[in-house]
Amino acid sequence: MDVIFSSIYGVMDRLLPFAFAEPAFMKRAILAMLFVAPTAAAVGVPLVHFRMAFFSDAIGHSAFTGVALGVLLGIHPLLTMVAFGLFVAWAITLVKGRTELSPDTVIGVFFSTVIALGIAVISAQKGLTRNLQSYLYGDLLAVSEIEVVWLAFLFLGVGVYLFLAFNNLMLLGVHEGFARSRGVPVQALEISFALVVALVVTAAIRAVGILLVTALLVIPAAAARNAARGTAQAFWGAIGVAAASGLAGIAASYSLDTATGATVVLFSAAFFAATAVARRARRLS
Amino acid sequence: MTRLHHLHTLEIRNLSVRAGGVEILSAIDADIRCGEVTALVGPNGAGKTTLLLAILGLVDYSGEIRFCRAEEHGRGAPRIGYVPQRLDFDHNAPMTVLDFFSLSSQRYPVVLGHSRASRTAARESLAQAGASHLAGRPLGKLSGGELQRVLLALALRDNPDILLLDEPVSGVDAAGEELFCDFLDQIHSASRFSLLLVSHDLSVVSRHADRVICLNHRIVCQGATTETLTPENLAAIYGSGAHLFSHGHADGHGHLHDDAPAGPDRKAP
Repeated sequence: MDVIFSSIYGVMDRLLPFAFAEPAFMKRAILAMLFVAPTAAAVGVPLVHFRMAFFSDAIGHSAFTGVALGVLLGIHPLLTMVAFGLFVAWAITLVKGRTELSPDTVIGVFFSTVIALGIAVISAQKGLTRNLQSYLYGDLLAVSEIEVVWLAFLFLGVGVYLFLAFNNLMLLGVHEGFARSRGVPVQALEISFALVVALVVTAAIRAVGILLVTALLVIPAAAARNAARGTAQAFWGAIGVAAASGLAGIAASYSLDTATGATVVLFSAAFFAATAVARRARRLS
Repeated sequence: MTRLHHLHTLEIRNLSVRAGGVEILSAIDADIRCGEVTALVGPNGAGKTTLLLAILGLVDYSGEIRFCRAEEHGRGAPRIGYVPQRLDFDHNAPMTVLDFFSLSSQRYPVVLGHSRASRTAARESLAQAGASHLAGRPLGKLSGGELQRVLLALALRDNPDILLLDEPVSGVDAAGEELFCDFLDQIHSASRFSLLLVSHDLSVVSRHADRVICLNHRIVCQGATTETLTPENLAAIYGSGAHLFSHGHADGHGHLHDDAPAGPDRKAP
């Protein structure tokens, strides 16, 4: 693996001949961001179409409890974080389909229950809070090579999933009965998408932290849909915004000495503001 | 408009649907015949949409829905086109009409482009619906009438045996409604499918339907339009205050007022 990474670093030295990209830890951070941010943005396009931003926020916050449980049980917190995120996503989707409560009520109940559980666990375990810092704010600069490889697999896996499911997801977002009448397997699609979102959210926490993870999914998709006419423009636009703000955010945080995740999110928020203003101007003209 | 030989018939026998302990439909018997426009009328909550969903196989039911096709006209399950009552989607969704068509006609994601086959099919069916100019427009920005044309074009693209239209003229202005109904007549005389139409608008029903099914949880009456839409039958399904009348407006369309309480069910011979 060392050989692969050293040749990748060589290529990066030529493509990014800047001071910020020189140290190996910065190269790993850039690679991680360029895998995770476009993945999150791609999933964000159907997510915004489904109005599921609150869902992804709930999954993000469940990671807090997942980490606490991992420390309590002596398992690696990254593993328990992903597993717990998947469990919460599955549970919310299941309950949502079987009650007449509105989706945001169901998510709200799960959201607070899960956070309460996390706080209860943490308060009983002195000294755990320090451990949680890196999960709350993200710790992109500490990403290891093996984590970069995992994020690359996530990137590919989500790509395959969206290749197979994207059309049906968008159709389902327009009208459920209509999608069903065209043979779309609605329940399988809802559960699989919830699990994919949970996987992407928990992976992205490493980069930007629990507090900001929803931004990585929602903001690029929202910015792109301000400017896009069709679905293709919205999709590739979201990926472009994610990659550009990822790179710009890492560079800026290096020279400004700010938190990397937060700086990246601020850049994509700037894209959102610019496209929103442009959209308004276009409509008025 | 009755024909001697029907290419196919949808036979509904003793169909019942229960949900949450309430019987929404009970003991429905009806035939939907190819080449005919059958209108489904009845008060709000009578189970009209539920009947469509049962035909689509989207709700559990007891009883039987049989599709009988004459041997020489192919075999297999019927293709059913469905135009829902309203699309409750995000009106800022970045989706053009062509995107919407391609979602259900190509395997690979629309973000990789539209296949030539789905482009051609979309263009042809939009032209047939008089909606060619809408192909590049965002789906969420269409007017009610434009959206209905697009939905109808999409339903027709797949050459359905049975076309189900839920309230096709709701949310459309008078001019759009007229256009829509003329268009339906045109499609209907040129194609070989049956059309089941849910409508509140009895003037539309009386002008365009061959047969009428009056529904209020069970079949109140059914038969040829002229024989079925009698004042007595209307009173039976909508209550005694119901009648066809013309508004004072220029559109002159009859609209049914069904705010009177439902009267006793009555079965026509």
